[in-house]
Amino acid sequence: MTITVNSPQKSPQKLWRIWRQNNRRQQTLGAIVLGTLFLLGIIVSPWFLGESGLSTVLTQRNQPPSLAHLFGTDWLGRDMLRRSLHGLSLSLRVGLLAASVSALIGTGLGLAAGTFGGWVDAVIIWIVDVFFSLPHLVLLILIAFAVGGGTKGVIIAVALTHWTSLARVIRAEVLQTNSSDYVHLSRHLGKSSLWIARHHMVPHIVPQLLVGLILLFPHAILHEAALSFIGIGLSPHLPAIGIILAESMRHLSTGYWWLGVMPGILLLLAVKAFDWLGENLRSLFDPKTSQG
Amino acid sequence: MQIFKRKRLLEVLSVLLASCAIASCTPNPTDSNTADSTADSTAESSPAQSGSAEQIVLAIGGESEEGYDPTLGWGRYGAPLFQSTLLKRDENLNIVNDLATDYTVSEDGKTWTVTIREDAIFSDGKPLTAADVAYTFNKAAQSGGLTDVTQLEKATAVDNKTVELTLKKPQSTFVNRLITLGIVPEHAHGKDYARNPVGSGPYKMVQWDEGQQLIVEANPDYYGEAPDIQRLVFLFVEEDGAFAAAKSRQVQVAAVPQSLAVQTIQGMNLRDVISVDNRGLMFPYLPANSKKTPDGDPVGNDVTADLAIRQAANYAIDRQALVDGILEGYGSPAYGPVSGLAWEETKADIEDAQIEKAKEILAEGGWADSDGDGIVEKNGLKAEFTVLYKADDSIRQALALATAEMLKPIGIQANVEGKSWDDIEPLMHSNVVVFGWGSHDQTEMYNLYYSKAAQGDYNNAGYYADPAIDSTLDLAMGAPSEAEAVTYWKAAQWDGKQGMTTKGDAAWAWLVNLNHTYFVDECLDIGKSQIEPHGHGWPITANITEWKWTCK
Repeated sequence: MTITVNSPQKSPQKLWRIWRQNNRRQQTLGAIVLGTLFLLGIIVSPWFLGESGLSTVLTQRNQPPSLAHLFGTDWLGRDMLRRSLHGLSLSLRVGLLAASVSALIGTGLGLAAGTFGGWVDAVIIWIVDVFFSLPHLVLLILIAFAVGGGTKGVIIAVALTHWTSLARVIRAEVLQTNSSDYVHLSRHLGKSSLWIARHHMVPHIVPQLLVGLILLFPHAILHEAALSFIGIGLSPHLPAIGIILAESMRHLSTGYWWLGVMPGILLLLAVKAFDWLGENLRSLFDPKTSQG
Repeated sequence: MQIFKRKRLLEVLSVLLASCAIASCTPNPTDSNTADSTADSTAESSPAQSGSAEQIVLAIGGESEEGYDPTLGWGRYGAPLFQSTLLKRDENLNIVNDLATDYTVSEDGKTWTVTIREDAIFSDGKPLTAADVAYTFNKAAQSGGLTDVTQLEKATAVDNKTVELTLKKPQSTFVNRLITLGIVPEHAHGKDYARNPVGSGPYKMVQWDEGQQLIVEANPDYYGEAPDIQRLVFLFVEEDGAFAAAKSRQVQVAAVPQSLAVQTIQGMNLRDVISVDNRGLMFPYLPANSKKTPDGDPVGNDVTADLAIRQAANYAIDRQALVDGILEGYGSPAYGPVSGLAWEETKADIEDAQIEKAKEILAEGGWADSDGDGIVEKNGLKAEFTVLYKADDSIRQALALATAEMLKPIGIQANVEGKSWDDIEPLMHSNVVVFGWGSHDQTEMYNLYYSKAAQGDYNNAGYYADPAIDSTLDLAMGAPSEAEAVTYWKAAQWDGKQGMTTKGDAAWAWLVNLNHTYFVDECLDIGKSQIEPHGHGWPITANITEWKWTCK
């Protein structure tokens, strides 16, 4: 976790001073790098850990956290740290895919609505409203079931339901830009809508999009966890973060606290890391804060 | 800004505290219930309710979705509670009279003549006669419910206290119908009977809130020994809910999963009851695509159709480790489908956890690891199959995972998948499935192994078919009495040369028998329990009339 260490021979006090001397821009960059590394680490961890530790060892069941098993073991003697990492990695990958798809849909529809206006705008806004009017979780369950459940069902459901708020933000941004003078000028000069979208809109939208994408992650991850928590699709012995948490519920009354607390903290950290990443990226991109 | 926020927070907190003090956060003493015994006073509405001879609360599951009509299957695993049966099994599983005073079987084994006691009265006040018995048996045969009375040709009441049951062909297991089929009143048996059962059992139904609770009261007209406990409330909660309720002393009897049985609860004793409630791996017996079920589902699996695979799996599994690790010791290894019952062939038991022996069997069967991936092959076929388990059953999940782990060292790859029964059904004739069975009735063993019982449902799902076993099972079924059939039931399991268990065809890999674990209030004496069958209904209430509340 020591990102700023360039020369290891420096004393901690000195390092701290150097850190304090850094301006906010460097701190922001540091935070972004730190958050990214943490999340990337979780995503690739299963490839380093392999399948070891996921198999059942009946003689080592229900062990509290120790040096050998930092997160303890579950009722079948499986190592909870490895299970949690596997589960969170799956969740993050699902989240990544779903958030990217959502961002694509959101940007496309938002751009279209803002640029073309008229009935296109009306239809897109209507679709957005329909999505908003349905409880999100119900919609997720419906879609996951409709496409046949399983990991595929979860991914499709999460991907198809998270674009709405982003589409709204982008539409608003486009509308604002649309009414500006240079866009009016371009129109009078006879440029096509597509040309205006490409040259005037996109540069304004990219920062919004990036931040929006990052902030979609935690939503997507939590919803993936929620879906696997209520048991849609995945077999209950697979390590998904929602399944792990659901299973820990069964052991609440018996005092095996580490089954729920440790994976829960890991999930919390991951979601918080995304939040942090998003905030720092925003302050880097936003013209009002990026020069500070 | 910061200071302002903090101030606000303090304000909010203090307001909350004050309002809490006024409205009293502690429960009002008058709320904590007036132990009145109206039908509405449930365990939920009255926290920390304690039991008494007046009323006890049981959280032992067993809500019957199809209701409480014996002719539709209620009570097929014993103890119908509302109704009484002609015969019953005592705590040692010996057959004793209940409604019947005597019964005889004709020379050809096709006619059963039963005389019944004359003092039995239904809970609506009308007497129970031979006509009701005849009606019940005819109705059950007609409805084709889960109670298997298909061999009955007709039942006729000879006089008020004698009934004659005529069979299509002799059936040694028919006595089990007399043991499990609760007698319903002909005059009050209609469409809504399953919701409002009327019977001559020790208790009568008072109220049933589906999915929540069922309240019964002692039947004052019961002809047998009057029960000590006046009122029983069955709470329908999940197993961990039952544990939590027991911990807060809201229930007096709680059925808990074995994993929770290691916990202790103040004021409650753990009661583990031996059962024949078993779990095992069912192997598809035929090669892949050898036929289709009536519904068009595939039958057969090339890997498990090989005897060496089935036997090696049986020998490799360490059943005691499963009992200790998954059931926390509350269970026993199972080598056949009827452990602990009089018709179990103990010679069929094997020494398991023998990796070397399992490897030898595989090698002799022609299985070898030629490509060095740790999985054996034979003629290009990898020793790999899928084990399906019911997704929401944690014991079956654990058994599937642990067994797959035990098969790895001998080079068999078992992939584990959890699904709902709906999803398992089309796959269960071509994949290995974790099933649970266990009954006091030999018919179940017959249905699991008899070739013609394989009709595309749960009976003989693996399409096991061995002509020699079939004929032994036929002999057992056709024997004139249960006692005489026992030899044949044993021979079908293993007679020294052939059998359906491991040393013979190894059609299944039986794993464990569960002990049913209950937390029982210290003040409640529930007598001696019989070996319990598979967990549907309320097997623990089989001796309910002997239950005593010992505290004052």
